[in-house]
Amino acid sequence: MLTRLGLSVRPALAPVLRSTIRPTSQIAYRSLFIKTIPQPPGNIIGTVNDAYATPPPKVFAGSRHWTFERLVTIGLTPLVVAPFITGTSSAPIDAVMSSLLLYHCFAGFENCIADYIPARVFGVWHSAALGLLFFGTVIAGYGIYVIETTNNEGLFGLFKKIWTKQKN
Amino acid sequence: MFVLPTARNYIRLAATTACRRASLLRPVVVPANAVFAKRHITTVKSSDSQEQSILVAQRINRPLSPHLAIYQKQLTAVLSGLHRITGVALAGGFYAITVAFAAGSILGHPIDPATLVDLASGLPAFVDYSLKAIVAFPFVFHSVNGIRHLIWDAGSQLTIKDVYTTGYVALALTAVLGVWLIVY
Amino acid sequence: MLSIKSGLRTGLSKVILRTFATDAPAYEPNYKNFKVYRWSPDHPEEKPHMQDFNLDMNETGPMMLDALLKIKNEVDPTLTLRRSCREGICGSCAMNIDGRNTLACITKINKTDGKEVKIYPLPHMYVVRDLVPDLTLFYQQYKSIQPYLQTSKPPPEKENLQTIEDRKKLDGLYECILCACCSTSCPSYWWNQQEYLGPAVLMQAYRWMIDSRDDATEARKQMLQNSMSLYRCHTIMNCSRTCPKGLNPGRAVAAIKKSMAFE
Repeated sequence: MLTRLGLSVRPALAPVLRSTIRPTSQIAYRSLFIKTIPQPPGNIIGTVNDAYATPPPKVFAGSRHWTFERLVTIGLTPLVVAPFITGTSSAPIDAVMSSLLLYHCFAGFENCIADYIPARVFGVWHSAALGLLFFGTVIAGYGIYVIETTNNEGLFGLFKKIWTKQKN
Repeated sequence: MFVLPTARNYIRLAATTACRRASLLRPVVVPANAVFAKRHITTVKSSDSQEQSILVAQRINRPLSPHLAIYQKQLTAVLSGLHRITGVALAGGFYAITVAFAAGSILGHPIDPATLVDLASGLPAFVDYSLKAIVAFPFVFHSVNGIRHLIWDAGSQLTIKDVYTTGYVALALTAVLGVWLIVY
Repeated sequence: MLSIKSGLRTGLSKVILRTFATDAPAYEPNYKNFKVYRWSPDHPEEKPHMQDFNLDMNETGPMMLDALLKIKNEVDPTLTLRRSCREGICGSCAMNIDGRNTLACITKINKTDGKEVKIYPLPHMYVVRDLVPDLTLFYQQYKSIQPYLQTSKPPPEKENLQTIEDRKKLDGLYECILCACCSTSCPSYWWNQQEYLGPAVLMQAYRWMIDSRDDATEARKQMLQNSMSLYRCHTIMNCSRTCPKGLNPGRAVAAIKKSMAFE
């Protein structure tokens, strides 16, 4: 009977529901190293007739965030392309380029965290990853300041020097 | 063949027995010579919550069907995957460089670009060009494909034919511009 | 005595038959191997595995579904799959054939290439049995976008009319049969299906957003106004590539993002 219901691992194992709904079997370990949050079996919450519960709207995590990312990228494109065509850059322009690039990288990492370390499964680790990213971004921002103030052509100039092996 | 009572069938089974019970109220003519095979299906009464708990218990056993490993490598997903991988690698490099400069400055050992140039000059040509290729191709690909993404976000080139055309254009541009950048 | 006589007779008849027989070529079966994903809830301790079925293509119908039903009818009746209309309108037989999500009933078997065919259930879904995935979450998500007309206007006396242009906007959207091929081809849906709605459901959300008779567009947009429901779409375009009905969910999702860009 229970076998036909697709419940038991071995027919001898009774009582059914107590043996099959074990809290341990609900834990979906995504990672071998850290403990993740148990997910509902089959990822299904409620009965088959319930609708998925829509989260409350957060405009700054939704469309504004998306649009801001795009605007930054649109602004970034000519600033990245131009130095390669003209062969030179200046510290102020390069500073703007580097800052936009920093946000672009930050947003990219943020998306990766949302995709691969979702709060739903990783909980505090998700927050920790975001925190680490934020901390790293602040340091990187200071790094950009250092580069722009010590190199005439900023980040582009630094790369150009190493790329063409000119010390000037 | 007999029906395996998965939870859904199980519910249906309960419903049909209820119907049958109603039909029993009417007189039924049974042919005298009818031979009834013994049926091995038993019905069990259960409440909604019991059915729900059976369903949940069944879900626990269910395996996840294979995905990334068995899915066809299509240009759509491959270029998207490359976009992400190159993006993460380039962003990682960008963070590493900027954080290194920041750390050098904070810790009192500022990085001198001249020493980096010396370091690069000391490399054999083969290693030098390989390193340049490792940087140049991902950078060019991510930039070109990024523009492709911006075009999509503007609502253009979104048919499958256009997706493939622009995909091949992006790859061709990556090859050409990447080589140009290596010999820059 | 009798045996010699009858032996003579049969020998004779063979000679006669040979004389009159036309030169029929020897029967050459055309075998093709089908590797099918198997898992049974009756034996949950056994891991899912691939089972080989060698079918004679001369005796098999033209479509993948024909092959599967031939297996079920003649080889192994325990093979479990969903199917109904056999003409690509019900979406029941959605599965992964040779690495692509498609409907078995409208996918032709290549009978001449001699390659083996691999058949899996829809990717990254919980398997009920063999080729049957659990689509409960998919339907729950569909329900969450409220796929029905919402308006504050009183119902019209006759048809609820719209202009020809407005009606045209629904073409390429309303034809969706909810087979889940696109959603289960999407890597974003693989990793975050609990929160990301997936291309099929989002395309239907768009279908109701742009319906000229529907007044709930703003509320529908608000439902997607978070980082997961809509914005896990990274325009991978596997969805449009795989749609067995030739629809374009990827473009619909991009259209939603564009319409919400300045909200």
